[in-house]
Amino acid sequence: MNTIGRTTANWIILGLTLTFLIGPFLIIILAGASDTEFLAFPPQGLTLRWYAKVFTVESFRASFMLSMGLAIFGTLLALVLGVPAAYALNRYDLPGAETVRTIVAAPIIVPGIIVGLALLRYVVVPLDVTVTMALFMAHTALVLPYAVRVVSSSMHNLRGDMEEAAVLLGCSRFQAFTKVVLPNIRGGVLAAFILGFVTSFNQVPVSLFLSGPGVRTLPIDMLAYMEITFDPSVAALSALLAFMSLAIVFVAERLLGFSRYV
Amino acid sequence: MFRNRREGLALALPAAIFSSLLFLAPVAVLLSEAFRGTGGGFSLQGYVDFFSAPLNRTVFLRTLKLGALVAGSAAVIGYAAAFCIVNLGGRARGTIFGMVVLPLMISPVARTYAWIVILGRTGIVNGAITGLGLSESPLRLLFTETAVYLGLLQLFLPLMIISLVSAMENIPRDVIPAARVLGASWISVFFKVILPLTKEGLVIGGTLVFTGSLTAYITPAILGGSKVLMLETLLYQRVNVSNDFVSASVIAMILIVMSFSANLLLKKIATARS
Amino acid sequence: MSDTYVQLTDLTLTYGQSVAVPELNLGIREGELIALLGPSGCGKTTTMRAIAGLLAPASGRITIDGRDVTRVPANKRGIGLVFQSYALFPHLNAFENVAFGLRLQKLSANEITERTLQGLATVGLTGYDKRKPAEMSGGQQQRLALARSLVMQPKVLLLDEPLSNLDARLRLEMRTELQRVQKETGVTMVFVTHDQAEALALADRIVLMKEGRIEQLGTPADLYARPETAFAAEFMGFENIFRVEGGKVVSDKGTLPLGFATTSPLLAWRPDGVTVGSGPHEGRVVATSFAGAHREYVLESALGPIKADADIALPRVEIGETLTFDLPEATARPLAA
Repeated sequence: MNTIGRTTANWIILGLTLTFLIGPFLIIILAGASDTEFLAFPPQGLTLRWYAKVFTVESFRASFMLSMGLAIFGTLLALVLGVPAAYALNRYDLPGAETVRTIVAAPIIVPGIIVGLALLRYVVVPLDVTVTMALFMAHTALVLPYAVRVVSSSMHNLRGDMEEAAVLLGCSRFQAFTKVVLPNIRGGVLAAFILGFVTSFNQVPVSLFLSGPGVRTLPIDMLAYMEITFDPSVAALSALLAFMSLAIVFVAERLLGFSRYV
Repeated sequence: MFRNRREGLALALPAAIFSSLLFLAPVAVLLSEAFRGTGGGFSLQGYVDFFSAPLNRTVFLRTLKLGALVAGSAAVIGYAAAFCIVNLGGRARGTIFGMVVLPLMISPVARTYAWIVILGRTGIVNGAITGLGLSESPLRLLFTETAVYLGLLQLFLPLMIISLVSAMENIPRDVIPAARVLGASWISVFFKVILPLTKEGLVIGGTLVFTGSLTAYITPAILGGSKVLMLETLLYQRVNVSNDFVSASVIAMILIVMSFSANLLLKKIATARS
Repeated sequence: MSDTYVQLTDLTLTYGQSVAVPELNLGIREGELIALLGPSGCGKTTTMRAIAGLLAPASGRITIDGRDVTRVPANKRGIGLVFQSYALFPHLNAFENVAFGLRLQKLSANEITERTLQGLATVGLTGYDKRKPAEMSGGQQQRLALARSLVMQPKVLLLDEPLSNLDARLRLEMRTELQRVQKETGVTMVFVTHDQAEALALADRIVLMKEGRIEQLGTPADLYARPETAFAAEFMGFENIFRVEGGKVVSDKGTLPLGFATTSPLLAWRPDGVTVGSGPHEGRVVATSFAGAHREYVLESALGPIKADADIALPRVEIGETLTFDLPEATARPLAA
């Protein structure tokens, strides 16, 4: 094959792959704008009323707030637990380091649906824990592995003697951490937060069994909604969520070269 | 720096304890349910019962089959796409790679919902079929294995491409031209040069896609419904419809064993490499 | 010693189960520039870390200026350390790196600025205050690390292999720089090195260490001219070291008669202490190279290889030819067994 032919073939393959991967989003955006009472593509007439409707559906508003809260506070708690753990795993010669690593990483390996079910059956029901609390704990545990991994990798490049230097200049151990370590892993912590936020926000299987009256995460709520209603509002909401992720990733990439942490 | 182990453990343990208590312990209890006999002793009856039901066997095999099919297709498309991406220069390469990674950040519900628009009764495919007069009435495309297959492939293909791109980036620069100069056809270049050099990436990507498909819930739930059950949707049904926690425990064990062995495989590759 | 400023008494340092330094005793005088010299693993860095307070001793005492600091934590000990890697804070610019320790002392803003700028000036970095460490050369980073420690007016300044990361030209420059700074500030400096030339050039006194023990302690001139052990002699460039048995020089390869009487069990000669071109012994030239003021030969003799420097005025002898040589009494250094 000659070079031009090869370049063309190259782009055809890429074009087809990207169409398959990204095309559906374009379809969803348009489907959400269809001026029909049912889902239609190509859209028949264009309207923004479905996009507007998304904001008026009470359950969407509630579940959006719940998902936001879980994603933000779950990730924050995961960082509170995960940053010291990452620090300890990097800086100390721990006797059970491998065990700690495995335990903390376990939530990635164990399918979420099982975790949700187990929490419901053995924590929520017998211990009378609220579903919201259980969701919060589950989402924290789920994000924890990402927090530890991403923060670890950004701490890995940080030499230990910088902290020693800080201590010799008069810092306490804690000050050495806040004044020297933390500023230098800020990017990693931020990346971990974003990754954790996105993971938590999009999470379905863990939350599947952990829903109660008025307590549903947004994706679960969407699943429930689409079972009873066939109007294009779910498409509109999906499109909005895609835009939100897009914006987050775009800003993160611009700010800190996010992709190198993923 | 005068670091003692107690201090290190004090920093690492909160995370470990949190995960153990709120994650591992409940899961362990759940897994034990299927081994508890009616009298309370150890029993495998739960597993025997589970696999003697034809529906369960069908779902189990279907899950494996779809997982394998999706992983296989992802490998074929992945190689082509990854090769093209690696061939791109500078900026274009970053942009295209970003476009491949991006879908991973978007809600799987949104990603799967698109297929309803495409495959639904009033969707784009049926629109084309009826419009062209190929069929009188719209075909049932949703709630088929094909729909689940497409949804899963779209969901997990990026993982394969990412693995293969990073594997191909490590192929020494001039190896492929060298093989061509030595007279190798493109087919033998692929099987004799590219494939052996990217084997690890293929295994990593394959494992990620396979276990991802196995443990996916949303895609089979939305695109398969109760007609095309997979292990996760079956588990959900067993719990929510029939309150059958023994079956749920068996399915959980199957999923965890598969997911865990896949992870061990990945770890082995990672350590063999370093 | 009455003028001892830093005193290490029976200091035992361990890493886990292994003893790195057993019962070390060492006195360091105020205002001196002392070198801990030795091969890697000799305990020199471990000793330095213990003085800094980064390593708690298993037993023994450290006193500074008469005060027992063995249990004083590193951040309260008032000791400066210039790390081999410099350990600069990458997120802070040069000014903030130097001001880092001063800010912790809650000094007034004016005093911090003044002392920081002064510190930067001392090491010749005036005008570099806005640069980040990554934007500075290796030599500048080294100076910055030095300034950061100096502004704290430490009782003792420790330097870990201070010249090892610099290229040859900068190394010479930093040598004189370190000496100048030490003169100017009068600070007691302890530096760790594995390079004897560096120790000889810089230090007032050298502590030669081997396997956690002090092998020899003395001025550079002392150590250079009068090493006491084979280890010290080898470190100081005595490349020909032989046993003496029954009036003969002995090596694993063979023997040669010794032209003088000695009671020492070991004798050592530098290459330039070996007489070439005359003498009772013969050796076959196996290697030769030009080294400016002299020509270096390796002679294969009855004792095995002998390293010898010949005056450049002597005609060059080719590989394979034989040369006469002598191991004279005048240049022989007697060593302890």
